[in-house]
Amino acid sequence: MYLIALKMLVGNRGKFFAMLFGVALTSLIITQQSSIFIGLMSRTVGFIFDTPQPDLWVMDPKVQFVDDIKPLQDTKLFQVRGVDGVEWAVPLYKGQIRARLSNGTFQTCNVIGLDDASLVAGPPTMVEGSLADLRRADGVIVDEAAANGKLAKPGPTPDSPKIPLKVGDSLELNDNRAIVVGIARATRTFQSQPIVYTTYSRATRFAPRERKLLSFVLVKVRPGEDVHAVAARIAQQTGLSAYTGPEFKGITIRYFMKNTGIPINFGMAVGLGFLVGVAIVGQTFFSFIVDNMRYLGILKAMGAPNRLLFHMILLQTALVGVIGCCLGMGLASLTSIVSKNSELAFYMPWQVPVVTALATALITLITTAFSLSKVLNLEPGIVFRG
Amino acid sequence: MSTPAIVCRDVTKSYLTEKTVTPALRGINLEVNEGELFMLVGPSGCGKTSLISVIAGILNHDGGQCLIFGRDPNEMSEEERTAYRGKSVGFVFQSYNLIPTLTTTENVSIPLLLNGWNRLDATRRAEEMLAKVGLTNKSRSLPSELSGGQQQRVAIARALVHNPRLIVCDEPTSALDHTTGGEIMELFRQEALNGNRTLVIVTHDSRIFRFADRIGVMDDGQIVQVASSPSELQLDKTTKK
Repeated sequence: MYLIALKMLVGNRGKFFAMLFGVALTSLIITQQSSIFIGLMSRTVGFIFDTPQPDLWVMDPKVQFVDDIKPLQDTKLFQVRGVDGVEWAVPLYKGQIRARLSNGTFQTCNVIGLDDASLVAGPPTMVEGSLADLRRADGVIVDEAAANGKLAKPGPTPDSPKIPLKVGDSLELNDNRAIVVGIARATRTFQSQPIVYTTYSRATRFAPRERKLLSFVLVKVRPGEDVHAVAARIAQQTGLSAYTGPEFKGITIRYFMKNTGIPINFGMAVGLGFLVGVAIVGQTFFSFIVDNMRYLGILKAMGAPNRLLFHMILLQTALVGVIGCCLGMGLASLTSIVSKNSELAFYMPWQVPVVTALATALITLITTAFSLSKVLNLEPGIVFRG
Repeated sequence: MSTPAIVCRDVTKSYLTEKTVTPALRGINLEVNEGELFMLVGPSGCGKTSLISVIAGILNHDGGQCLIFGRDPNEMSEEERTAYRGKSVGFVFQSYNLIPTLTTTENVSIPLLLNGWNRLDATRRAEEMLAKVGLTNKSRSLPSELSGGQQQRVAIARALVHNPRLIVCDEPTSALDHTTGGEIMELFRQEALNGNRTLVIVTHDSRIFRFADRIGVMDDGQIVQVASSPSELQLDKTTKK
């Protein structure tokens, strides 16, 4: 009888495709919007993600997220190094500096100043050159996306494509000459600004003069020491806050969740997608059931128990749900592939398809429940009405 | 002496509509024997459909007793009644009621599948049944590809395929022309009455009265006459075509 149920479903092609479209659209919206939301949230912590070497990030207690820089006095570095359990501690500069491009326009860059000696917190992947090249005079490493985009040089004519920045080219950072010594691949930031890596001493030279320029102290805990215990000692002895990478990511994400409209905007889009799914699929399936009421009545008259009719309807909605969900997630994955190197923040961890599948299952169940009462209360006497 | 397949004693049925109670059956007394083709005739709204619904176990009656092969469907549980319909009753409807997205074989195999047959055996049996009603070459056709007469043949095959003891038919020839209607009734006599089956046919079509063993005339929820031949019938104009 289940084959009969499937034939009854796919035989009505108009309604079958309308239901598939509804589920596919819903799962596409839910998957895509959730993935973009997660992608955006991931970008807020992209720099922390790219810097796995330290066990602890030490900062001003008032810092709310990774780009909220409250500079520290350089002496804080030495205080941290003096805390028991610290294997090493290095300075990190993180700030925004304006770059003057060769066509005269300005572009704000996210400049990362790495410890001159260790170069800890460098870019995760070098595309061209090496990290050690930062030790060359005026050396900077530029991220690949910026080199090909925002920092690229204009072509010879206004219509010609931009010329990517390459090793050996120069930049002007806050009136200071900088030479590109490498191109790196880094996780895009929330603001999508170009990322420029250089040494700490050079970064502080590029930066506008301020009394305090140390953004973070990156700490490696001595082997065998408890990270949280060392963090507590640092906080106690220096008055600074010390967080592990995951903790700092959590703080940053919570800030964006709480203080920006991103969650509510994306939440609304996802919710709307769900409602669209319930409306389209529910209505179409209900109409499909109404169309088939006479035939379901015949089955009931011929001895089909309610349990069998329930299973048949569940099978029909489940089939629509599974195919539609796969179509929607497939389309969303296609978006992911197409937008791989674009500005679109799309990141689909395994949880997104699971949530989408659950949402689709819920829509299927709501739809089934919606139609089922009509079928279960169906009077088989309907078969004798002309 | 023939064994009664259907014994109705003072069967009553009323429908409740908002504030009014409309009686449909007002004390039906009827006996139909096994192997008999019994026709129910009468004007629209006289209770014919209600009576066959009660007999088929689709509708509960309010009062009296209606024994079908010795058991009253009213006294069965919902599950028993569903099983009774699935095993013992075959249905033929006025508008054929074939499922349009299924082939004729699939339509015919439904009662077998509902009785637990596997698909292959059900398909084989359905094809045999289609051959018996003269539709060997239409086993893969959809209902929309068949004429009205062919569709009714498929419906008959579906009603007979699981070898039920009782067949109830609601206006089986009303949508067919005279010749096709006659052929369908011949088919009924040939195939349906084999194996001592009982047929109850509701009809308005006086052209097929001659096929009946007995004809019950209903009016206003009661059987007012049972005739052994069409010539004995006293029908008002609304019943005659």
